[in-house]
Amino acid sequence: MAGQSGGTVVIGLGNPILSDDGIGWQVAAQVRQALDGQWHGDGPSAHDLVHVTEACVGGLSLAEMLVGYEYAVIVDAIMTGNALPGTVYHLKLGDLPGTLNMASAHDTNLATALRALRRYGARVPADEDIDIIAVEAQDVWTFREECTPEVQTGLAGAVELVLRLVRV
Amino acid sequence: MTRISIDPITRLEGHGKIEIFLDAQGNVENCYFQVPELRGFEVFCIGRPVEEMPFLTSRICGVCPEAHLMAAAKACDAVYKVEVPPAGKKLRELLYMAFYVTDHTTHFYALGGPDFVVGPDAPAAERNILGVIAKVGLETGGQVIDTRKRNHHVIEMIGGRPVHPVAAIPGGMSHPITEEQRQEIIAIARKNVEFGQFTISLFHDIVLKNTGYVDLITSAGYTQKTYYMGLVDGNNHVNFYDGKVRVVGPDGAEHCKYAPNDYREYVAERVEPWSYLKFPYLKKVGWKGFVDGKDSGVYCATPLSRLNAADGLATPLAQAEYERMYETLGGKPVHHTLATHWARIIELLYAAEHMLELAEDPEVASPDIRAIPKATPSEGVGIVEAPRGTLTHHYITDEKGILQKANLIVGTTNNNAPIYISIRKAAEALIQNGQVNDGILNKVEMAFRAYDPCLSCATHTLPGQMPLELVVRDQSGEVIHHASQYVAPELLAQFG
Repeated sequence: MAGQSGGTVVIGLGNPILSDDGIGWQVAAQVRQALDGQWHGDGPSAHDLVHVTEACVGGLSLAEMLVGYEYAVIVDAIMTGNALPGTVYHLKLGDLPGTLNMASAHDTNLATALRALRRYGARVPADEDIDIIAVEAQDVWTFREECTPEVQTGLAGAVELVLRLVRV
Repeated sequence: MTRISIDPITRLEGHGKIEIFLDAQGNVENCYFQVPELRGFEVFCIGRPVEEMPFLTSRICGVCPEAHLMAAAKACDAVYKVEVPPAGKKLRELLYMAFYVTDHTTHFYALGGPDFVVGPDAPAAERNILGVIAKVGLETGGQVIDTRKRNHHVIEMIGGRPVHPVAAIPGGMSHPITEEQRQEIIAIARKNVEFGQFTISLFHDIVLKNTGYVDLITSAGYTQKTYYMGLVDGNNHVNFYDGKVRVVGPDGAEHCKYAPNDYREYVAERVEPWSYLKFPYLKKVGWKGFVDGKDSGVYCATPLSRLNAADGLATPLAQAEYERMYETLGGKPVHHTLATHWARIIELLYAAEHMLELAEDPEVASPDIRAIPKATPSEGVGIVEAPRGTLTHHYITDEKGILQKANLIVGTTNNNAPIYISIRKAAEALIQNGQVNDGILNKVEMAFRAYDPCLSCATHTLPGQMPLELVVRDQSGEVIHHASQYVAPELLAQFG
């Protein structure tokens, strides 16, 4: 679904100083740049319709970032260990393991946090209106502002996918 | 030997793993608690202007960036030998109290609380914030969300952003608040005080009136007698932002009290070949292994530790509850790990009251919030109390302020050895003759969760949790029990 109503948020998630964990931030930056280029002066700009941001949070804090939006794209690193670094996945919330109702060692998970917010009447996207673009990472333990070259290869594909999803 | 593995895995953080080894009789022989290694922090920092450290180090952690921001800003103040004007200091503290209210609220209602509010034997699927809401009602749940929201608003007002604030800089703060904002914060702080009182009353009703829970809290499996650490002010009252580090012994007597610059004289770090994370201990007592008692240098730095290490709290409502806790649990110090939850909500109330005090002081809206650093930079240490324990930042620069060396002791690191001991004690008490089930393992995990550990100091985690995997192996290595609160089989199958 595209953000036709102005209610779209793109969140580049990750830690920008932990190597491949910063890939979400890089994707967000390039998406923002691409949206800048799509505005031709008349009517609302792409940024009026799609809010692009970066974050290094999870659980309740991440869920709270979705309040007020109808549609969200979350871009993050992932480590399945079963694909080449840089592989881009398109997931839904339900694809993430253990995202519902699980006890947690810190805070709570995103799906549970969203359900909690909905219980209080907060307007957050429906689970099916949350797309997750994940890029297979290989090093998320080394302090470095750049991703590894292998993961960097996933950048363009992830950006393209996000732009397709949020087409305005 | 039978092997039990409790394995918190996130999609990124690597493995924080608890492994419990059983002997042939099915009793606990040993435990290990391992966390992932984050590499190259010092290399990453060296060569950067030291004033970048508040923003960089706050990026280490997705859970308590405000604590790193404050410790780093204070270390920078020390590096530049600059005294922050009173209004700047109060403004930093005001932001920090809003953070504490948010953080302690989240822990109690979303993490630690479910074990008590929903129940330690409840199915794992119910031991979460939704289970808490079901138990305490929608209105209370709404208050939790509102509390987070209004305090994030305060953090944004003062710190520039609701998460990962940026306004604390060497010498003070980057921008003042207006009188109108101060009035708004007063109203928010009043709500926080009410919410703190409500949380305390909820704890009384649900936990303290349940003799089973009180017995659990005070049981031997959750009791260990260590040293306790916490920042205190000139009156030996708890202080989250400033003061001296005070350490008391298992008997409650003061062991030492030191200024941040002197931390190396009192704290040393033990390296074990099986753990990436070091084990800090009290230098003058010495490392005697993973044991508690007066002769062991193992210390705790938790909300309970802070209350044990202090003579009291500087605000009336929190002080009254502080006295109630010690009266109920048999005097100071309290050695029951699970009482950390009570201590945490006492601190929540204290943070709310202190926030109100700070907001009601007109000086906090003064524009005189920064002293421009002019001295030649050299070396400095900044210490604050992070919600998870005493946080130390130590920087050494050249004369141009370029970082040459950086050392951090983060909250959870302080508690590395006590967490190990707590897990082992709980496991020894609960796992006997090879009897293991989900309820028992949750109770082992409760010993771990009471510390609110932040394993990698880099977590944001898309699923937003550090779930657990359990593997029990018999003597031949065969898996005989496998319980998991979080595994990735669906994902692995999907992409495997």
